[in-house]
Amino acid sequence: MFEAPVQRLIDELARLPGIGRKSAQRLAFHLLHIEEADAVRLGSSIIDLRREVRLCSRCFNVTSDEECSICRDLRRDPTVLCVVERAQDIPVIEGTQEFSGRYHVLGGAISPIEGIGPDQLRMRELVARIDQEGVAEVIAATNPTVEGDATALYLARLLKPLGVRVTQLASGLPVGGDLDYADEVTLGRALVGRQEL
Amino acid sequence: MHLAWLELRDFRSYESLDFRPDPGVNVLVGHNGAGKTNVLEAIGYLSALRSFRGSPDAALIRSGTPAGIVRGGFERESGEVRVEVEIPEGGRRRVLFNGKRPQRFSDVARELPLVAFLPDDLDLLKGGPGGRRQYIDDLIARLHPAAGADLAEYDKALRQRNSLLRNEGPAADALTIDVWDDRLADLGSRVFTHRLRLLDRIAPVLAASYRTVGGSEELTFTYTTQWMGAAGKGTSRDPGDHIDAIRDALSARRMRDLDQKTTTLGPHRDDPGIRIDDRDARTQASQGEQRSAALGLRIAAYRALENRHDRPPMLLLDDVFSELDPLRAGGVLELLPKGQVFVTTARDDEVPVAGRRWAVRGGVVT
Ligand SMILES: [Zn+2]
Repeated sequence: MFEAPVQRLIDELARLPGIGRKSAQRLAFHLLHIEEADAVRLGSSIIDLRREVRLCSRCFNVTSDEECSICRDLRRDPTVLCVVERAQDIPVIEGTQEFSGRYHVLGGAISPIEGIGPDQLRMRELVARIDQEGVAEVIAATNPTVEGDATALYLARLLKPLGVRVTQLASGLPVGGDLDYADEVTLGRALVGRQEL
Repeated sequence: MHLAWLELRDFRSYESLDFRPDPGVNVLVGHNGAGKTNVLEAIGYLSALRSFRGSPDAALIRSGTPAGIVRGGFERESGEVRVEVEIPEGGRRRVLFNGKRPQRFSDVARELPLVAFLPDDLDLLKGGPGGRRQYIDDLIARLHPAAGADLAEYDKALRQRNSLLRNEGPAADALTIDVWDDRLADLGSRVFTHRLRLLDRIAPVLAASYRTVGGSEELTFTYTTQWMGAAGKGTSRDPGDHIDAIRDALSARRMRDLDQKTTTLGPHRDDPGIRIDDRDARTQASQGEQRSAALGLRIAAYRALENRHDRPPMLLLDDVFSELDPLRAGGVLELLPKGQVFVTTARDDEVPVAGRRWAVRGGVVT
């Protein structure tokens, strides 16, 4: 156990993804020695993130406005939706420059072990958008994991009866990984070569 | 390849162990309960990333301590390969392979070929189908990386479906179960054909191995499923050919699965069997025949891995010699002079081989 303020920071840092006890301690002791101005800047950027950033009311991408810049861009094709698990997958797909439609962020993948079913994801919001925006094709860009594949299959079974074409990224992505680990070229090819579900 | 060093911290009975074994034969001598098998279990864990005793990870942590640690360095022509595992109480274990998290656990098993002979190997013959499935699946993962990934994904999809059935029961969303049925059927058909192909490949090796431990009869594999009956020579080995059969069987069982809250059929319930001259080895063979067949299975695994890697696997022999007559012991000893070997015994004179002797007592190995 350390002095209370140090211990509190270690506990907070250790709650972040990918940071274990030891890394949290290392970070905390590093922060202990930085300039006060740097500490204030770091602290306020975290607070600003909470205050100024929210979720796009249409696609649930992160934005500082009511709708995100992609949804507001009139040049983008509203009839094709790319469905991703998390908002951080969007810049990865944007980086390929192979996609000109809009997005929909589900907020995860179907995983009964973690108590996540379709009701815990933004499926109802997705179905509502099909009619409202005249969506003709949905690309399931879920992660190439057991859960991501199951989610893609679920999208197909849910949306095909509504007359929507449902496709999945072509295989070639590293199995069991995250989209943001795939490089842009691989991901770009997977988008172009997407397959009917 | 050989294990150059092993470090244990709060693993099983060991508070701390630093062990630098010989590259050849190592004989660990000690009383029952002295901790000999724990050392072998740790070595096996570094390769298979699970206990060969079938123990859950939590059982490997020394009681009253927050985490158990197993680390080991293996020397190969291409340099050292390091495996490090930290098993925290009630948390997720951390596995590092050469300092990085491995893409798949079967990658580690493939890089570190190892075969363990265990005191209860007779259960491979006498016991239920689970042990035989495990034997086959372990070899698949060690021999064919892509197939090993399919096995792991099937297992994951199965756990997801079972979790859905357990949590939601008859109220489970039908569309969501359909999706898991699809995944299970697709992956299950692959698992099934991987197994048939492995049995095709290993059948002649098994027959030869059985003869080296004194068996004179014909040893053959069988494979029975609940979803298509018995598989044989004429059964398709194409992974795409059984998807519909599994999916149809799953949907026919849907009501029962919902009721029992688990998946009652599929490759995870299949029954691989062994026949000795057309008799069922489980129910119609003598104890001696069963013992020879069990040894034959392990020797066949050793041979298959040796062929795959062009170098001998590591060999763990846990208290095996006390049960063997000279003829069968001879069959096992044929494997010894090649790679690194770890043998445990309560009585030094029981092990008919030369090699470095280690005394195991009071939590130290000297
Ligand atoms: Zn948006």
